Formats: sequence, C-alpha cells, structure tokens
Amino acid sequence: MAEQAMRPQMMGARVARVEDPRLLTGQARFLDDIQVPGMLELAFVRSPYAAARILDIDTGKARKLPGVHDVLTFSDCPYRLWQRTEYQVGQPALADGGVFYVGEPVVAVVADNRYLAEDAAEAVRITYEPLTPVLEMRAAILEEPRRVHAGAENVFFHRSHRTPGFEQAFADAPLHLTATFRLNRQTAVSIEPRGTAALPDPASGRITVYASTQSPHRMRSDFSEIMEIPEHLLRIVVPEVGGGFGMKANTYPEDLVVVAAAIKLRRPVKWVSDRMESLLADVHARDDIHDVEVAFEPSGRIVAVRDHLMADGGAYPAYPFSGAVGETSLAARVLTGPYHIPHLATEIDCTYSNKMPLGAYRGVWGPVASFIQEGIVDRVARRLAKDPAEVRRVNMIRPEQFPYRNAAGAVYDPGSYGESLERALDLIGYEERRRLQRLARESGRYLGIGISAFVEPTAMASSEAGSIGYEACSLRIEPTGKVTAAMGLGPTGQGHETTMAQVIADQIGVDLQDIVVLHGDTDSAPFGGGTGGSRSGPIGGGAALVAGRQMGERLKTYAAHMLEASFDDIELGNGKAWVTGVPSRSVSIREIAEIAYTDVKRIPPGLPIGLELVARYLPTRSVSFSNGTHIAVVEVDPPTGLVSVIDYAVVNDCGQLINPTIVEGQIHGGVAQGVGAAILEALRYDDDGQLTTTSLMDYLLPQATDVPRMQIAHLVTPADGEGGMKGMGEGSLIASPAAIANAISDALEPFGVLVDTLPVTPRDIIRWTAQSGF
Amino acid sequence: MVETTRIELLVNGERLTADVEPRWSLADVLRHQLGLLGTHVGCEQGVCGACTVLLNGEPARSCLIFAVAVADGVAITTIEGMNRAEGMTPLQTALREHHGLQCGFCTPGMVLTAHALLTREPEADEGRIREALSGNLCRCTGYQFIVDAVAAARPAYRKEEP
Ligand code: FES
Ligand code: FES
Repeated sequence: MAEQAMRPQMMGARVARVEDPRLLTGQARFLDDIQVPGMLELAFVRSPYAAARILDIDTGKARKLPGVHDVLTFSDCPYRLWQRTEYQVGQPALADGGVFYVGEPVVAVVADNRYLAEDAAEAVRITYEPLTPVLEMRAAILEEPRRVHAGAENVFFHRSHRTPGFEQAFADAPLHLTATFRLNRQTAVSIEPRGTAALPDPASGRITVYASTQSPHRMRSDFSEIMEIPEHLLRIVVPEVGGGFGMKANTYPEDLVVVAAAIKLRRPVKWVSDRMESLLADVHARDDIHDVEVAFEPSGRIVAVRDHLMADGGAYPAYPFSGAVGETSLAARVLTGPYHIPHLATEIDCTYSNKMPLGAYRGVWGPVASFIQEGIVDRVARRLAKDPAEVRRVNMIRPEQFPYRNAAGAVYDPGSYGESLERALDLIGYEERRRLQRLARESGRYLGIGISAFVEPTAMASSEAGSIGYEACSLRIEPTGKVTAAMGLGPTGQGHETTMAQVIADQIGVDLQDIVVLHGDTDSAPFGGGTGGSRSGPIGGGAALVAGRQMGERLKTYAAHMLEASFDDIELGNGKAWVTGVPSRSVSIREIAEIAYTDVKRIPPGLPIGLELVARYLPTRSVSFSNGTHIAVVEVDPPTGLVSVIDYAVVNDCGQLINPTIVEGQIHGGVAQGVGAAILEALRYDDDGQLTTTSLMDYLLPQATDVPRMQIAHLVTPADGEGGMKGMGEGSLIASPAAIANAISDALEPFGVLVDTLPVTPRDIIRWTAQSGF
Repeated sequence: MVETTRIELLVNGERLTADVEPRWSLADVLRHQLGLLGTHVGCEQGVCGACTVLLNGEPARSCLIFAVAVADGVAITTIEGMNRAEGMTPLQTALREHHGLQCGFCTPGMVLTAHALLTREPEADEGRIREALSGNLCRCTGYQFIVDAVAAARPAYRKEEP
C-alpha cells in the first residue's frame, strides 16, 4: 500500500492543466503578440469578384503613400500550392491574371503598421473584366454555366464503389425510400484569427516563421518544397494558438506571401487576418448534397443504401487537403455508421466553383456521414411508425461482429455500440421524455428527442494534418533530474502539455511539475505529423508512452546496477527508484542523472552517456474507431421558428482516457459547435458570388445561452495500440448536428417534417409549420 | 506621417501616456503602444468579446472605442490588472480547476466580464451567468465549464462585501 501511494497514477487522472495560469493571467503569447524591432505589417488586396480576368494592376499610388515599403504581386511571389500532379490546378500565392473567388489574395502591401498597409491597399487600382461565376453545385458538375478553370474539368474528383450483389439486394428489399440531404457551407471560426510572421536572420541565413498552424513540420516541408528554401534553413515556431479545429491545418497562400515578403525586404513581416478576411478566406467546409435511396425491411432492418455524394470544393483544392475530397471520400467509408447495413453503393463528384476552397473543419466527413446515416434511420422509423431507438437497436452492429468490416471495407475495432445507445437512453430518461413530449403536445408545445449514434474514425494514418502516420517524442532527463520532452504536435487548446506529461510521468516516476512538454518548434521537436484527425491522443500519446517506457527502462538499469538488485525488482515513482518491498533501498532520479552526465565512469556498462532519447510510434492499425451516442432534447416554437436545445446527453467511448476532464471539455466544445451547425451557422453566397456573411453578426456562433447543459458518461473499450487510447477530438461534432436535426424532426412530426438541410433556420420552421394546415 | 496626439490613460491603477493616431482603437493602443498583450482581438466587429476591458468596472469592447475618446480619469482594467501579487484570483483559480478554458484566447475577456458580474451580483444564478457571458464567444469550451467555474467563484465575491 505504502509503495502504491508513492506512485500516483497520472494516466486517467483529472489533473488541472499546466497551460492555464499563463492563459488566465494574460501572459500567454499568441501570433499577433509577436513583435520585434523593425517588424513590418502586411495587408492584402482581395478580389471583389467571384470570377474575373485581371486587365491591369496599378500599384503606383500605393507605393508613394507614407510608411509603405513594398507592394507585391504574383511576379514577386511566383509560387503555386499543389505544384504536384494530384490536381490539374494549383492556387497561386497571389492572383495570376485572373481571380476565381471573392476574397482571393491579389496584391500584398507591406508597411510600417497595419493601418498604413490598409490605407495603401485601398490605393491599389485593379481593372477587372468580370466573368459569369459558377456557383451552383449540380450545374457545375454538368460543366454549366462553364468551366471554372479553362484547362480542367469542373469535376476534379470522381469515385464510385458498390458492394457485390448490391442491385439484387436493393431490388429484392420490400420497402424503399429516397431523400436528398444538403449541408450548407460552414467554417471553423477560431476566435483567434489566422496569422503568420516571418523573421529572416541575416547572421545565420535562416528564416523563422511563426505560424498559427496545427502541423509545424508539414508546414516546414511545404515552404521548403514550394518556395525551394532548404529545409535546414527554415524554422517553424507555433506560438499559443487560439483554436484551429482543422482550419489551421492548411498551408495558405497568405503564408507563402508573408515569407516571400520577408525574404525580399530582409525585414520581419507579419500578417494577421481580420474577421472579414477570416470568413472570406479561412477554408470553408460542409458544402455537400447527397441524393440517397434506401432499401429496408418491415422489421426496420436496413438492407442497402445508395448515395450520390456531391461536394462543392470551391475554386481550388485547398493545400494539402481538399475538404471536398475529404468530406465525400471519407464519408463514403463510414456512411453506414455504427449499423450493420450490408449493401452500399456510392458515387462521388467533387466540383470546382467560384467560391472559397473547401478544407477541413472538425469532423470533416463525420458530421456529413452522420447527418445522412442518422437521417436515414429516422426516416425508416417514421415510415414504419416505430420508435427511432428501436430501429437503431435492430440495425446496430453486435459485439460478436467485431472486428467488423463495413460495407465500404473499413474495419472497426471493438466498441460499445449497443451499450452506448442504452446508456444514453437511460441518461436522458427516454421513456419519461416521451411521456412529457406527449403531454406537451396536448398543450400545443413541441418537444423533440433526437438520437445520434456515431462512429469516429481516429488516429488515421493520414488526415488533414498530413500523411505522416506516426508521432515522435524526444525525452531528456536534465542533469538535475528535471524532464524535457519535445513533440511535433500542434495543439490549439487541447492541453497536450498536460496530457503528454501525464503519460510520461507514470512511465518514469517523476512528478508532473518536473516535466515540461515542448511542442510546435521544428528546431526542438523531432519530425512528426502534427495535430489533426484526432491523432494526438492515441498516436502522440503513444509516442510519449513509448519514450517514457524506454527512459524508465534505462533508469531501472541504472538503479539495478547501483542498488545491486535485479532489473525486475526496481520500481519507479516520486522521483526515485527503489527495490520492491524495500523502499529504503532507493536512489533518486536526480542522483542517476548526475552520474549519467557528470560522474560518467559510474554509468552501468552498455549504457550511453546522458539520459536522452527519441521514440516514434506508428500504430499497427491504420485507423481506430471511437463510438458513442448523443441524445438531444429540443423545444421548437412554430410561430417564431426558434429552436432551443434544452437538454443533452452524451455517452462516449474513446478507449482509455488520459484526462477525463479534458475529454469532457472537448465533448462540450464539439456539441456547442453542433448547435451552431444545426441551427445557426451558414456561409451564404449571393447570385453574384459575393459572400454575404462577412461578420459575426451574420455568421452566428453559439453563445452561452444557446448551449444546453450536457450530461456525459464514459464507456471504455480500450484500443489495442499503446496505452489503449482512441482519438476523440471530433466525435462530439460528428454526432451533435444529427442529434439536434433529428430532435427537430421529432418535435415537428405532427407537421410531417423530416429535416434534410443544415442549418435549420427559423424561416424553414415557419414555412414547414405554416403550410401544413395544422 | 500621420499626426499623433499625446493621451494619458489610467490603466490598472497607473497613469500611462501614449502618442496615438485618432483612429487607433483602444485595443490596439493597449496592445501595441502599452504592451498589454493580454487584451485579445478576435473580430474588431464588437461581437466576440475577446477584447473586453473594464471601464470604471463596467465591461466594454476595446475594439470599438477610439483610444482618444476615453474620457479623462476613466479607470481602465485589463487582464494584467486582475492578477493579485500572490498569483491568480479565486475566479481565475476556479476557471483552472473547472477546466474553463482550452485555447485561452477568449479567456481574458471572460475573466473580466465574469469579474464585473460577480462584483455586482455575487449571487448570480446559472441563467444569469450565461446571460452575462453571452456577449463573450468561446469556440472551444461549449461554455459549461466556464459557467461552473464562475458559479464556484461566487463565495469569494460574497466575502469581499462590507
Ligand atoms: S475584438 Fe472586440 S468584440 Fe471582438
Ligand atoms: S477557450 Fe478557445 S475560444 Fe474560448
């Protein structure tokens, strides 16, 4: 017992975050807080047209304005994203003869400060010849009204898949239904806008780029490849990042321009996006249409699903990850969700248009697939007049079916599918809710209960963070016994400094406060993949665990040698190593470190000088599936069209938890984003291709009063990788839009409503309920 | 160069001077002239609340106010002025204990808004807390743990009453 007490288990503990004090006291430093003497600021002139030829750019007047150092056009920055062959078009860093969406960077002005840069930007004269914009997805797929890029077909990604025997199974099923689902454009909206600062160092010839990014090493590779800067002369530093949600995983044209300007002017240059620029030119997401046909049986069992998945990818494939391809190709792989649906036929078309490129936003394909799959289940239930919970039970993958290969070929590792559904129904008090719903209806109030069971593919070999399937951790015990770890992750609020330290602390037996976790600096971190696709916990945590274990073994070898005991009898904890059962026979890690670095004659034979190592962890599975169930309770007010989400339950299974409080925080945040996705957030382009939602007064984010109190329960089905962790950063936004949409459908069942479009607006509700004759 | 005006501001109890252009926002002057980088700018549209400071104890959006327009003698409190010499305030500690922040970008504005609320209404209930925080957007936390933290900090504000 005494020995156990000496070794607190940090893994799974609800420890407070080491990041918090600096953030709470205003001492943390974000990108716009980077200021160095002589730093210049950059502002962009962006396209006011969705599609136009550029006839002339006159920068003469702008150059003469006070404080202006340079005005850059494409010839100063002749780089393209996607120089590789994957797609036929690559976005130029600055417009090259034409513009393809409103907000596309055309000219960059560098001045003493942002105010002066913006003054000069207004003085740049550009003559455009407008063209007919391509804005409607279905038409664009048919090359109407024209091609977006003269040299490339509009459909830049096409793929189809069909299970053997699909047509027969579909035709043989006794019941069928069809539906079209539409997800409108949304975007991540980190509260800290994007930004980049480049600082050339004349002494070393190197250039340091401060970047608000999720993938520091990938960004270094990108600059190196695209701009032909030797990789060892580049350093990427990620300061504190105020939210990313996938949107900061891209390398953007603006990043290239800032670096090019700094190199050209040999001065530090910074650009920080303003909110209008963010809404125009942070990657967009979720512009999808799905034409769906379903074959099912009277029992509610779903036999076959056919889906034509279409996505509007915008003017260019975002770099290095096209959201349109991600949202469709990956949605097609998880379209059957947690259900055993044996037959699937999918056809994918991703098209160019004259809109902002589509990139990643938390969940990427997940919220799309989940909206379709849960919408299908509710339609089947409605048609058969069955309880939606019952139809889910009928179709749910059963425990004995794991590992389960779904109809698209994706292999699910074990999870708690049916159990999570039952637990969530308990948590929300399902039967009682149904009773209250009936009572409320009698008095003219419309309550609805929406269920959303989900799968979350995590820890994937490749994701929006890149295609590096492993993560790396360097671990060093300093001569005084303090510990420095460095990782290539790019956290944006997930608390990796805390969780990774928790993982390491248990392995080497030191206190949390004696460990510092560095990240986001390519000079200190070993090459790794970065943060995205819910990979940091399982893969990053796995790397931290392996590094910690290897270091722990080295410490035990020292202790065994010094204490004249066998390796297997050494335990680590509390900054010490001791012999099992004899706590007094101990040596401190500090003493070991002293020997390792200074008294090196005493190093046990066969061990190297110092206590330093790098470990990489590549999971054996290419993907690991988390799962769970969300249930939303809403009240809909037909006269005003307003929806309030009044209660919410989550049962989540992400395998082993490193820090349950942090997991719950992630879930809360994702559900709030789901409230936005379901009832508030839409980027709207008008008929000319102008984005009309360019402020947070038009693009509405959920406020504290819009988000319900959530109850959360955890189930634990460990993954078979290191530590048993699965990823969990996205599941909450995967499941929640569908839960809320289904709750709205359920509330408005008397009006025959089945939600097929996100977000649901008050206008939709008024239209549906006023027309029905109730 | 554009004309600047010398102004004097009372920030966190100190009289500070800055040479400012009339069009510079208070947020920009606090950040870039006075080095008080804890005030964050998230929208410059008056919506997100990240730039919240207290003017004579009342929350205000420093992105919407011109620095030259701050009247003489108005006491400005920024997040840097919230820290007690001995460390964090009970509100800040509660936010840490309840995991009321993730990326932390909205946090200074949240702290100041919640501080103003609890100073005036130390008994504020959950509904009132949510209402008072509704002008401060947080994209990370879903608000629940922030609300819990503010509720947990109430006793500290009760004690301070005479
Ligand atoms: S920056 Fe002032 S309200 Fe957003
Ligand atoms: S903690 Fe990230 S915006 Fe609030």
